[in-house]
Amino acid sequence: MLGAGMTDSAGTAEGAADARFGADRFVPQDCPDGTPTYWVEAGELRKVLRELKPDFPMLYDLFGIDERLREKRDGQPPADFSVVYHLLSLTPFGQLRIKVPVIEPAEVPSVVDIWPNANWYEREAWDMFGIRFSGHPNLRRILLPPTWEGHALRKEHPARATEMEPFSLDADRQDMEQDALLFRPEEWGMERATEDTEFMFLNLGPNHPSVHGVFRIALQLDGEVVIDAVPDIGYHHRGAEKMGERQTWHSYIPYTDRIDYLGGVMNNLAYLQTVETLAGISVPPRAQVIRIMLAELFRVSSHLVFYGTFAQDVGQMSPVFYMFADRERLFGIVEAITGGRMHPAWFRVGGVAQDLPEGWDTMVREFIDAMPARLDHYEKMAMQNSILQQRTVGIGRCTQAEAIDWGITGPNLRATGVDFDLRRDRPYGGYEQFEFEVPVFHNGDCYDRARVRIEEIRQSLGIIRQCLDNMPEGPFKSEHKLTTPPPRERMLEDIETLIHHFLNVSWGPVIPAGEACVPIEATKGINGYHLVSDGGTTSYRTRIRTPSFALLQQIPLLSRGLMIPDLIAIIASIDFVMADVDR
Amino acid sequence: MRSTELLPFVVYFAAVILLVATMLGLSWLLGQRRANKATNMPFESGVISVGSSQIQLSVEFYLIAIFFVIFDLETVFIFAWAIAFFELGWAGYAAIMVFIVVLGVALIYEWRSGALDWGQKTRRGLEGAPPIEETP
Amino acid sequence: MSEMSTLLYGLVLLAGAVGLAAGLTWFERRLLGIWQDRYGPNRLGPLGALQVLADMLKLLTKDDWVPPFADRVVFVFAPTAIVIAMLLGFAVVPMSPDMHLLDVNIGLLFFLGMTSLAVYSVLLGGLASNNKYALLGGLRSAAQMISYEVFMGLSLMGVVMLSGSFSLQAIVRAQEDMWFCVHQFLGLYVFLIAGIAESHRLPFDLPEAEHELTAGFHTEYGGMKFAMFMLGEYLGLILISCMMTTLFFGGWLGPGFLPPLVWFVLKTGLIILFFILLRAAIPRPRYDQLMSLGWKVMLPLTLVNLAATGAIALWMEG
Repeated sequence: MLGAGMTDSAGTAEGAADARFGADRFVPQDCPDGTPTYWVEAGELRKVLRELKPDFPMLYDLFGIDERLREKRDGQPPADFSVVYHLLSLTPFGQLRIKVPVIEPAEVPSVVDIWPNANWYEREAWDMFGIRFSGHPNLRRILLPPTWEGHALRKEHPARATEMEPFSLDADRQDMEQDALLFRPEEWGMERATEDTEFMFLNLGPNHPSVHGVFRIALQLDGEVVIDAVPDIGYHHRGAEKMGERQTWHSYIPYTDRIDYLGGVMNNLAYLQTVETLAGISVPPRAQVIRIMLAELFRVSSHLVFYGTFAQDVGQMSPVFYMFADRERLFGIVEAITGGRMHPAWFRVGGVAQDLPEGWDTMVREFIDAMPARLDHYEKMAMQNSILQQRTVGIGRCTQAEAIDWGITGPNLRATGVDFDLRRDRPYGGYEQFEFEVPVFHNGDCYDRARVRIEEIRQSLGIIRQCLDNMPEGPFKSEHKLTTPPPRERMLEDIETLIHHFLNVSWGPVIPAGEACVPIEATKGINGYHLVSDGGTTSYRTRIRTPSFALLQQIPLLSRGLMIPDLIAIIASIDFVMADVDR
Repeated sequence: MRSTELLPFVVYFAAVILLVATMLGLSWLLGQRRANKATNMPFESGVISVGSSQIQLSVEFYLIAIFFVIFDLETVFIFAWAIAFFELGWAGYAAIMVFIVVLGVALIYEWRSGALDWGQKTRRGLEGAPPIEETP
Repeated sequence: MSEMSTLLYGLVLLAGAVGLAAGLTWFERRLLGIWQDRYGPNRLGPLGALQVLADMLKLLTKDDWVPPFADRVVFVFAPTAIVIAMLLGFAVVPMSPDMHLLDVNIGLLFFLGMTSLAVYSVLLGGLASNNKYALLGGLRSAAQMISYEVFMGLSLMGVVMLSGSFSLQAIVRAQEDMWFCVHQFLGLYVFLIAGIAESHRLPFDLPEAEHELTAGFHTEYGGMKFAMFMLGEYLGLILISCMMTTLFFGGWLGPGFLPPLVWFVLKTGLIILFFILLRAAIPRPRYDQLMSLGWKVMLPLTLVNLAATGAIALWMEG
């Protein structure tokens, strides 16, 4: 049964999976997002995943759920914890979820030898839930400091500062924490010297101008040649997933803005797509187009920051100022529409916060009319500069197979020649109404990663123009009863609607029980919120799958054998923000 | 040259030294004193350093030093010829050209033996990847 | 000039060079501001010019710190070396027919010697710090600057051949018919590149390379000692521009409606402007690329230049 090919089914990867996983052997779970989900016993996990890999080549996400306090898990196998393996196939697009039930003391076989990117995800699940992955090469904490006690996403772990001892950092504690940060090459299987070379170990970051935030890479160097690198993350970890368990569905929206902090409302979109799927809300056309327009404005904004810092990191001083000036103009538009700039938190469950202000179209039109000429100018200034090309062409190359193996998505995947974009290949939130091209380049090097993004800016400008020319009339919020806050006109009709409004605003909406993840093509790759509702006013588990996490894990692979300046060019070209990595 | 011609230069030199000494002295006098916990640690991006910074260096750096010695000596000979260029005429020109050609051959030898390619590093594990497409 | 006036000239030169270098920090930031669509320092004094004074005061009152893990004597000596070497280099620059501190027949060699000394400053600063970033910066500086040292000397030999002297006044006078930038354009090109590499400014600021090595060789430096490295860098920029004017653009020569000194200052100013523009526009090559450029392009170019200059000059001489 497991060996059945793909051909006998409906032609989709999901169909193939259905054919393999009869309900007789593996327990299926119905999810509102329509992604086939099956429970597999830990003993069979590796065999199943190995067989699935040819059809679902990408391990999109791997995470744990604490099932002990969850209500309404009808029909699911008993478990203290579950580990979720979210797989993707790109052509044709398909998704599949494999879940493993775990009873304490939790132990699951590691799949690092099947998907190399499982490494960090398994470390994260260990860090957060204390789930052991037998056979993992180096199972240690990844987001929390090594000195942390407990596993933060377990339900018994406190979520608020008031539930814990007040934090203090005295001299002894500081020494202890500093000592815990010390890089010990032996822990990573590194030699300190060979017979004829003595290696230098260099901490690049967290306090370094080019690591784009608080990110640290411990380098093993021979002269300036990178022999090996160990990325160290977690400095920007704020417990966004834990906070999701304490905030109402509505009041969690501002937290999402701060995940990919260059993506602004793009994060709201990823979160709300999933919430609305759970709630069964369909968003009215005007709200859809407004959302897409703002999301694309933020894609332009994020790519502009990338463009400028990319040039800056290979030592070109001026471009970043031009790009930031453009971004400033763009923020002017965002501010006029939403009142916020970087973190508007402006989308709402079922729509957006307000209608567009008068005169928005003039502002948007001025911006998109002016941009193409400016992009041409930047192209001449930066991308056609021969020193910049020498620094980036052929540097940090990543093949298609490697990109898929390491869960790379978004522009970095398209730079390797994989023609895949969720907006086109599995349209969400109204993207099916738009015409745009998906830029694809083939070298997979730093230069192509930049070229993809620059072309995407142009395509996004095209999408914004289509929004501008075809903005539908109508409500900017859904009429659905779970829309939060509900439309104000309906509030004062009678006591019933008033109570309803009051409850929705003060306690927040009650989202029906279920589990869903509707990934979107965010600025840096595929971003998805896996949300578990057990029928309450807060999420039972909020899992944020971010593209930057996968990108950072690949840095050692891309940089081994190159030099420090190449490493800097690679870091600049893969485009991440640490908040998006650490959450 | 008479020694008096040198006098202004000697004064100038003294003034330069005085200036530098003043700058250092003033900052020593005016500078704040600080002794935080991490003040006396070497900067390594905020993390305590592992291993020594006094390590054996890659051989490439010695190569450069050797090249420098070879070619800088060469320039000394060329300096001497250049200053007397017109007096030496074609004969001097021929002699120095022989010298330059010999050095040119040395340069070509170094070049061909790969001694000048100290940075041509490629990423490990890229065997079998398609060649790079030219950028337009 | 009489001895007294030469003496006076020396003191004015010293004050002028240091003042100009300090002023240049402000000027460069303003200029970059204009080119980069922003303001630059504009708060203190007219057009923000007093920023220099504020910076100086700030640097003077900064912690005068010598790291206990460093080689302390060398650590303090290193930044002073670059300032001293660069300032001494100004002694041989002829600013007008009779304005020079020292017109010796080895003026050019003196200049080359002083720039060589400046190399040690950066190298020693990097090595004495006992810091890994500084070490990498120091190594880069050693490799880069001793390589470009070779080409810098050789690129000037064409000029020496044509003027038959190492005396800078003699070289300026030899350009009365035609500036050397015309027939020594190859030499000028190599000297320009080597000059940027020697003064280690962007795009060739690899020993510092803040994006890669945080602050490179001066990572552990702060306060006045850091300021001296910066002062040395700006002095170097001015000195290289002065030399370029002298060697290739006819020095103080110019039509008679302006005094020679003005011509000299104008030409030098334009070259400084050009250096700042380069800094604003060009990205930084990788260290090995810079070295390859040196040994594989610059060195052969200088040799070709020598051979061609010699042959043509002798042939025209008959």
